[in-house]
Amino acid sequence: MINELLLQFAEWLYATSGSRAIEESFYLYNWIEATHVLTIMLCLGMLVFIDLRMLGLAMPGVSAVKISERLNIPMMIGFAIMFITGLLLFYAKPTYTIQSIWFRIKMVLLVVAFVNAVLFHKRMKASASTWEYEAKAPRHLRINAALSLGLWAGVVMTGRLIAYDWFHCYRELPAWLGAAAGCVAD
Amino acid sequence: MELLPFFEWAETSFLGYIGKTYGGVYATFGQSIHLMSLAVLGGSVLVTDLRLLGVIMKDVPSEVVANEAHKWFRIALVFILATGIFMAAAVAQRMYYNDFFWAKMSALLVGIIFVFAIKRPMLKGNHADIQPWLLKLVAVASIMIWFSVAATGRWIGFS
Repeated sequence: MINELLLQFAEWLYATSGSRAIEESFYLYNWIEATHVLTIMLCLGMLVFIDLRMLGLAMPGVSAVKISERLNIPMMIGFAIMFITGLLLFYAKPTYTIQSIWFRIKMVLLVVAFVNAVLFHKRMKASASTWEYEAKAPRHLRINAALSLGLWAGVVMTGRLIAYDWFHCYRELPAWLGAAAGCVAD
Repeated sequence: MELLPFFEWAETSFLGYIGKTYGGVYATFGQSIHLMSLAVLGGSVLVTDLRLLGVIMKDVPSEVVANEAHKWFRIALVFILATGIFMAAAVAQRMYYNDFFWAKMSALLVGIIFVFAIKRPMLKGNHADIQPWLLKLVAVASIMIWFSVAATGRWIGFS
């Protein structure tokens, strides 16, 4: 049921003139995609340094809270750019993307990464004054930081794999995989 | 020097064979790790350059930021080169005839020379001894060079 609704929504999006215009424009589509990919350097680049600082692997002599607060703004600017360009990429190829198992896994990983980030900030703010000048953050925050790195690596990988149609609906797929990818009966 | 035979050989090499035969290995160990390394490499470049430009972390000494970021730049560079060689080997002959591949290689060469011959030697010492305009010029040049490397790299896939 949910897969049918999602596909109907994607088909409606696909039929809009904006969607057709982006996909059919070589430069527009590719520059949106290139911007999405290149912004990894800003968004994930900053995130990596925040997480590495928590793990004691980068700038251990600088307050961990300071690093986190200072890098948070450029990271969020990068995230906003990635989010907008990501929406546009989805808008350009909605029917293909909605039935990509990689896109679906990526969305799940993004939600988990978001929850992890919220938890991390809450925990950091609650206890920062006691450890911020230590080389490593407390264990529970280091787990958050390591999880963050792993989840975002997963987001990058599944994002890249969206381009591959190995498990697309027009292939022979086991029923569970077809359902997970959003395939619907003709 | 004629390079085509080298590219033909690369495609038949073990690395080329693996990348060509196993699409999953190419996409995960090649492309995905290349992108993860780009995040670290680009992050280390931007952390340093934005600090030199006075945009971020103004209350952290720029020497500390530059030194720490450079450690991760080197690690990311090793991974990005290794995965880049792996990917290029699998499609070596196509790369030989791709203008953006050569544009990227040129930009990458400039980037590596810029970092190890100019930027790093300059930033190793006390930054207060360097003219502020020169620090900012190096930061802007660095961002432009590495943006070019990444953008031409992405455009290989589009051309």
